[in-house]
Amino acid sequence: MAATLERPDAEVPVGPEPGVDRQRTRPGMAGWAGRAAFPLVLLAVGTWYVLSSTPVHSDVLASGVIIAVGALSLNVLVGYVGQISLGHQAFIGIGAFTAAYVMTKSTDNFFAALVVAAVVGALQAVFLGLIALRVRGLYFALVTLSWGAVAEQCVFRLKGFTGGGAGASAPRPGLFDSDRGYLVLASIVLGMVLLIDWRLMATKAGRAMQAIRESPAVAANYGISVPRYTLFAFGVSGLYAGIAGALYASRRLTVQAGDFTFAGVALTYLIVTVVGGLRRRGGIATFSIFYVLGGFYLPQLAKHINESVAANAGYYVQVISGVLAILTLIFQPEGLGTFTAPIGRWLKGERFQLGHGGGGAEGINVRP
Amino acid sequence: MLALVIAPAIVLGIIQGAVYGLVAVGLVLIYKSTRIFNFAAGEFATIAAFGTYLTKDSVGYYPALLVGILAAVATALLVERLIIWPLSDRPRVTLLVATAATAISLIALQFVFGAGGKIFSARDTVVGGKFAEIFGVNVSYQQLVVLLMLLVVGVGLALFFAFTDTGLATLATSQEPTASRLVGIRLSRVSMLVWGMAGLLGGLAGVLLPPLTGNFTGAFGTIDLLIPAFTAAVLGGMTSIPGAFVGGLSLGVIQNLASFNISSDRLPGATSVAVLIVLVGILLARPSGLLGKEA
Repeated sequence: MAATLERPDAEVPVGPEPGVDRQRTRPGMAGWAGRAAFPLVLLAVGTWYVLSSTPVHSDVLASGVIIAVGALSLNVLVGYVGQISLGHQAFIGIGAFTAAYVMTKSTDNFFAALVVAAVVGALQAVFLGLIALRVRGLYFALVTLSWGAVAEQCVFRLKGFTGGGAGASAPRPGLFDSDRGYLVLASIVLGMVLLIDWRLMATKAGRAMQAIRESPAVAANYGISVPRYTLFAFGVSGLYAGIAGALYASRRLTVQAGDFTFAGVALTYLIVTVVGGLRRRGGIATFSIFYVLGGFYLPQLAKHINESVAANAGYYVQVISGVLAILTLIFQPEGLGTFTAPIGRWLKGERFQLGHGGGGAEGINVRP
Repeated sequence: MLALVIAPAIVLGIIQGAVYGLVAVGLVLIYKSTRIFNFAAGEFATIAAFGTYLTKDSVGYYPALLVGILAAVATALLVERLIIWPLSDRPRVTLLVATAATAISLIALQFVFGAGGKIFSARDTVVGGKFAEIFGVNVSYQQLVVLLMLLVVGVGLALFFAFTDTGLATLATSQEPTASRLVGIRLSRVSMLVWGMAGLLGGLAGVLLPPLTGNFTGAFGTIDLLIPAFTAAVLGGMTSIPGAFVGGLSLGVIQNLASFNISSDRLPGATSVAVLIVLVGILLARPSGLLGKEA
């Protein structure tokens, strides 16, 4: 019997991860130089684009960066912990109105408002998460849908909180007042959110969330407190959403209840998350930018076709994005992450290899 | 005294609830047989409304009604063939996202063909005029038609499931898809059948509702119908067709009671708050719903 209690031999060979041929060959000097040059080239192209175009282009890019933060918030729920949210207009809107409220009522410091918005966003998400502990899967999706409608029709129209129909004003911080400056600020915030998200997924909490997604019962058997980490995930998601909301508010300078609709925010963010690729933060951030650039340039291209197409180009973009999401679900569940994940691994020193992303790429996985 | 205040709200609520009931039955049919939450259901209604009001000037009102309903059925069948069937072995949430993406595409298409957010007036009714005054509420024939339609659909579906082989096959599929396939039921046919029926029901709601409110805009199905209809379906148990009727009617009444004495200055959107409270309440207290047998 004693033999079974012995520690297994430390030298037990660990096989390669299934499906992933991870060749741990270290790149040479040239390899590292190429990898270091890649982000610099991206940064240079971005800077060139911003400086050579009008401030309107920067504003468009900033809106894409903000969508990226909001979609990352949705990714925590749908991608990591396996809870679907169809009420993200409430998450983003509450952050936006909180930031505007703080800036009009007490301090005009944008960063203080950002922090308050993040905290309030997290609190409302945790509150919703309490319901998710009892109501799971598709039924919880309905609760979020209904919560979004309440936010749209009730919370955002409370005179004391949002100024009723007139909307609330949300100034930008002095240093980042211009459209280009604001793009820089939004990009820095996105970078921080990406960094937090990346490191968070490498902690126990990150692994716990993913275990809960695969199977709450198995996760509980391994000693993971399912309620605690579910609420934690909602908190993180609400935190990101609050930040996205505060950025959204100051980008537009005023916030109105009509900005946060089911089709305009909740569905759009869901589509961006799905097409970008669940659990693929690089894919999500990249597709957010593509999404707004598409929404900006396609109407201009449409002018060359004919007038009626050009007049409705915004709606056509919406049609295309919906179709794109459906095609992604049917043919490529990893979304744009199919291409961004290999780049990410390459940057970390592995060989460039399309194919398996590792880390669970089975698309959406929520137990009903 | 209280009865005088409440009675009109109940009458109005029942009429409104009948429309929810029609859409809710479509949701239940699909959920019962395929376990899919159909978020595109509201758009079947909107497409029917557009079909009717864009063609009524050229073909007349009654043929246009048929055009609208057929457009809704055709859309439902197309969605089933092109999107639902290829995804049918995926996790249910994938399908939920797919139907939601379908909804956003359909909404945007309506805006393309319906000239943006234009408000369409809908004055034509199936039967014009006032039927009676009940508790101070003028009930029009159109409202009576909606209630009757709900009854007809209810009895029709009950007979269909009880007495026809196809109805029985649908029920069997909902209980045990694999075994049903083994005894020779074609799941693909059943799936098309329930989606077609859901399109029909959504279409009926879509052509009957606009005359009651007097106008409609693009996406009204998703905005005004989808959430209440889902709540009604959950209230009734999500798998029970009589439950969806009862749920629809009760939700209509609850909404009207909620908005009746609360000014929108004090609490805007009281009806949406009522819907959320009912939904969360029923899910926490009795997840199987009022008439549901399975959770």
